[in-house]
Amino acid sequence: MKGRTFIAFVGPSLFLMLLFIAAPLVSVLWQSFEVTQQVFETVEVETCTPGFPEQTCVTETRSRPVLMESGLPLTETRFVGLESYRNVLEPERAAAALRNGNIGELLNIDFWKALRFTLTFTLITLPLILGVGLVLALAVNNAVRSIRGPVIFVSLLPFIITPVIGALSIRWLFVGDGIMTAFLEWWLQQDIAMFAQGWTIEILMLFYRVWHVAPFAFVIFYAALQTLNMDTMESAIIDGASRFERLRYVIVPHLMPLIIFVSLIHLMDAYRVFEEVIGFRSEAHVISLQWLTYDFLTPDDSGNRSISRASASSMLTMIGIVILLIPLLMRTWRDHRGSS
Amino acid sequence: MKPLAKAVLAAVLLFVPSAASSACEFDNEVPVKSISAGFEAWKAVTAAMAECGNFEAELDQEFRKKQPAAFAATPSLYQIGGVANSTIVPLLNEGTIRPLDDLVAKYGQNLTSNQLIKVDGQVMSIAMMVNAQHLMYRKDILDDLGIAPPKSYDEMLAAAEKIKQAGVVDYPIGATMKTGWNVGMEFVNMFLGMGGEFFTDGVQPNVNNETGIKALNMMKALTEYMDPEFLVSDSTYVQQQFQQNKIAMANLWASRAGAMDDEAESQVVGKIEMAAAPAAVPGGKPATTIWWDGIVIAKNISDEEADAAFRVAMEGLDSDMVQANSDIAVWLIKGYQPGRLAVGAIESLQGGAPSFPASTAMGLMHTALGNNVADFLTGAKTAEQALADVEAEYTTSAKETGLF
Amino acid sequence: MSTPNALRQPLALRLTSAGFLCFWCLIAALPLFWIAVMSFKKPVDAFASNPLDVIFGPATRLEGKGLSVFGILFAIALLVFVYVFATRHLAPLAQRLTVDRQIWLGWLSAVALFGCAVIFAFVYVYPAVTGILDPLLGFLGDPIIGATVEHYRAVWFENEFYRNFINSLIVTTGVVVVSLTVGTLAGYGLARSDSNLAFWLLVAALIFRALPHSVLVTGYLPPFINSAEILRPVFGEAAPTLYGQPWAVIAVLVSINQPFTIWMLRSFFQNIPRELDEAARVDGCSHFQAFRRVIMPVMWPGVITTGLFSFLLAYNDYLVTSLLLDAQNQTMVPAIASYFNRETTTTDQIEAVAAAVSITAPLFVLVMVFQRQIVSGLTQGAVKG
Repeated sequence: MKGRTFIAFVGPSLFLMLLFIAAPLVSVLWQSFEVTQQVFETVEVETCTPGFPEQTCVTETRSRPVLMESGLPLTETRFVGLESYRNVLEPERAAAALRNGNIGELLNIDFWKALRFTLTFTLITLPLILGVGLVLALAVNNAVRSIRGPVIFVSLLPFIITPVIGALSIRWLFVGDGIMTAFLEWWLQQDIAMFAQGWTIEILMLFYRVWHVAPFAFVIFYAALQTLNMDTMESAIIDGASRFERLRYVIVPHLMPLIIFVSLIHLMDAYRVFEEVIGFRSEAHVISLQWLTYDFLTPDDSGNRSISRASASSMLTMIGIVILLIPLLMRTWRDHRGSS
Repeated sequence: MKPLAKAVLAAVLLFVPSAASSACEFDNEVPVKSISAGFEAWKAVTAAMAECGNFEAELDQEFRKKQPAAFAATPSLYQIGGVANSTIVPLLNEGTIRPLDDLVAKYGQNLTSNQLIKVDGQVMSIAMMVNAQHLMYRKDILDDLGIAPPKSYDEMLAAAEKIKQAGVVDYPIGATMKTGWNVGMEFVNMFLGMGGEFFTDGVQPNVNNETGIKALNMMKALTEYMDPEFLVSDSTYVQQQFQQNKIAMANLWASRAGAMDDEAESQVVGKIEMAAAPAAVPGGKPATTIWWDGIVIAKNISDEEADAAFRVAMEGLDSDMVQANSDIAVWLIKGYQPGRLAVGAIESLQGGAPSFPASTAMGLMHTALGNNVADFLTGAKTAEQALADVEAEYTTSAKETGLF
Repeated sequence: MSTPNALRQPLALRLTSAGFLCFWCLIAALPLFWIAVMSFKKPVDAFASNPLDVIFGPATRLEGKGLSVFGILFAIALLVFVYVFATRHLAPLAQRLTVDRQIWLGWLSAVALFGCAVIFAFVYVYPAVTGILDPLLGFLGDPIIGATVEHYRAVWFENEFYRNFINSLIVTTGVVVVSLTVGTLAGYGLARSDSNLAFWLLVAALIFRALPHSVLVTGYLPPFINSAEILRPVFGEAAPTLYGQPWAVIAVLVSINQPFTIWMLRSFFQNIPRELDEAARVDGCSHFQAFRRVIMPVMWPGVITTGLFSFLLAYNDYLVTSLLLDAQNQTMVPAIASYFNRETTTTDQIEAVAAAVSITAPLFVLVMVFQRQIVSGLTQGAVKG
């Protein structure tokens, strides 16, 4: 296909991506190197607020922003280099913690705490999702034809459900004396509070993610099993391959491109884990990288937000994702070279 | 065919002018829009405003993000804004709301002086209600055990111990200690109640001291009597714990009092009494802060629009609205008859509880507290460490904002 | 289909595999089943600590609102019928309704008809039948499980949830249509190009796909609110305020979804032999004509599957829609979240649950209807890695 035709085909899509993804991305990169501040002055202010029975007025010293004559606040923007990154990473404190060999202290720093959780979350859910998806696909493929439809239908439910609602529905089963907690208490004969300590919340978050994504892996693997070459399978059987060997040497290689596809999608999605933190209210115990960015960006009551630190932390998240994706990108590159 | 019949009926009713829709004293010709939080009081007020016609209300849970940006646009996307003592700060900082003195003189004859929020002598907002965390307790349980309603947190701990011994409820105490804003708020109440000052010179942080540690330790002592899941419990959760007969005492928002007597939800109708928030030190002021909610008018609109917007707002804040909705808030508006459920808020006000000291610096401090206090309560950090981290986080953000 | 002897499995394996499937189905369905049960109860029952109270709803039943044995059986029968019809008879119906070989039109009308029929059956036929028969059936007609639809009524009529439903419909339809139009063109272009540019585009798309959304989305708000001012030099007084406009949100969601769409469609098009369109080119067609005449007729399985993913993204989105739409144009998911986030009463929460179940229902129908198409679309190579 010629260059111009190619651009004609790809153009609209490219335009949208440039406008709504690349442009914000560049501005985020830029903002991570500079800081915009309002100029404050310290003044005595009298404020009168409701009291009982009469209004109470207090005079206090506080800083308030200087307004220009046009009525807009006076701001100044400075280039600060890597300072915002330093504020997020807190390298001195992290280095001190490492020197003392005190991991707990390192994990008290927000960024490292978030990184720890994000990485473990990503790496633990990945094999679980691939495993559950594969086993499900094999089991459904094994099942009697007439029940396959209903089973696929039920299996897909956790995947299609609105994530906010899925997380809530699981939270309700466990929060306080939810039925699952009541069941566990009855079974283990002890008092259980799932949301009182970090590790139980983490288990719930892992469970939710596997519950939500395994059906996606399942349906893709199941579709691929339908195209499994029966000749190869039969010759494997003639060669006397055991059931496990057939799985190992015929089925898994056939599914390999899809296993990589699912892993790729899942790595990207899991690395920006966020809904779980909000849905399970785990902020006290575990936080994730995207949550950290979100928290910097969310204005507090007085309208302050840390745009620069948010930009820095999101650039760091990006770098993390690219590192995770490198092996897969290399493979795509080889495919591309091979095909052209 | 019942639902259908009901829908038809509703449709018919829409076209028949009813008594309620003529309650507005003038016909509003200028399109007016408002943006505010979405809780019950705002629903009532905006519904009353809508009676004047040409009015659209946006009750938005993202209003904190949208309001400052929307008011800064030219022209402002909304004429009326709903604010509280903290959310008015960004609007004041950016100069996007107008002084209301002339409008009050023109149309504000029904306002009480208590409603006029003044900054540097100018009226910047019209308050409609106050809200505060105060003590709610199960009168039946406390009476049975012969406990007087606690006046201080030490008494509350003693009462909790007795209730625990008696084993009448799952947990003696409930509290809104959800990580983030809520737990930060609890600390603010306790710290101010113990006589702490958050800042020296208006901006330098001042929490890592004796008072801060005492406040944290008191919070920790209280958690011993709570549901172990206290770090995920917000106001709604505590309210449900009351309704479901699981807790006996809590320092809960006045706006939640109405739900205790709601027969459709509550198993404890009529058993809950209100009182001033406990003092943090014996004999001290109630350890709580007073919040107000009110309206502001945008600056970047024509005077004509501002005029119409203010008149519409006054219709929303009139005595008719208050009398129809007297149970959902502690109103400041003329014609309000405080009921049994408003006692706690009023006693707290009378006891001299301070207004929440909202400012740019306080906003940063509140966020830092919300992020770090939980680490002390979970045991991940010592009190000193947690407070040092609060100050460090505050300092970083204050530098970034330009306060230093 | 006969199974070769050697493939036949030992009983133990079959049992384990069946057991696993049952267990999984239980886990997959239980949370959703539970919120569905809660949505039909009075608040006191829905948040009761005894699970049996939640299921049987004594407080709800005391008010005389409940399902009888007959009612339950009838509901199950209806559900089974709906499922069977959706999976077996809907595809032929879609074929019949297809005019002019526009298969998507056939599907669209079939699904719309089916959706209306389901709503009609449950909202009108079901209450009418049980209302007439229950009193005649003696103990079979006595309510045994407390259930009330008052929350649904509150949500849909009093809180005007149907407005949010219409808004969701607009946004979702827009996203699916635009996303597929733009995406098929780009996917086809990428599949037929070996240039390095194409490769780097794909890699860039991959990285875009990985970006945390909250970063992008927050950046949109100020320019969206001030767009009238920003665009005034270009458009004059007609410059629009993008904030609150459904079509602006559609553009954002389409862009966010583009990377995934073009990757899926590219691998799908790669599986269509190049010889097909090259033959058309030899016959004198341009690339666009070849695409329209040769590729379009065979691309539907892949497009339907990809379209479903776009649909899910748009329908389930919270971050973008909650921030960039105003109250008048709010879609369903942020509307529900607002029930939870504002100062809620327990009744509000149950209403939120009812709303949550309501927005899940169309997804149910969708999966029922398109389940085969998803699998066959994937099988035909939309995901060859």
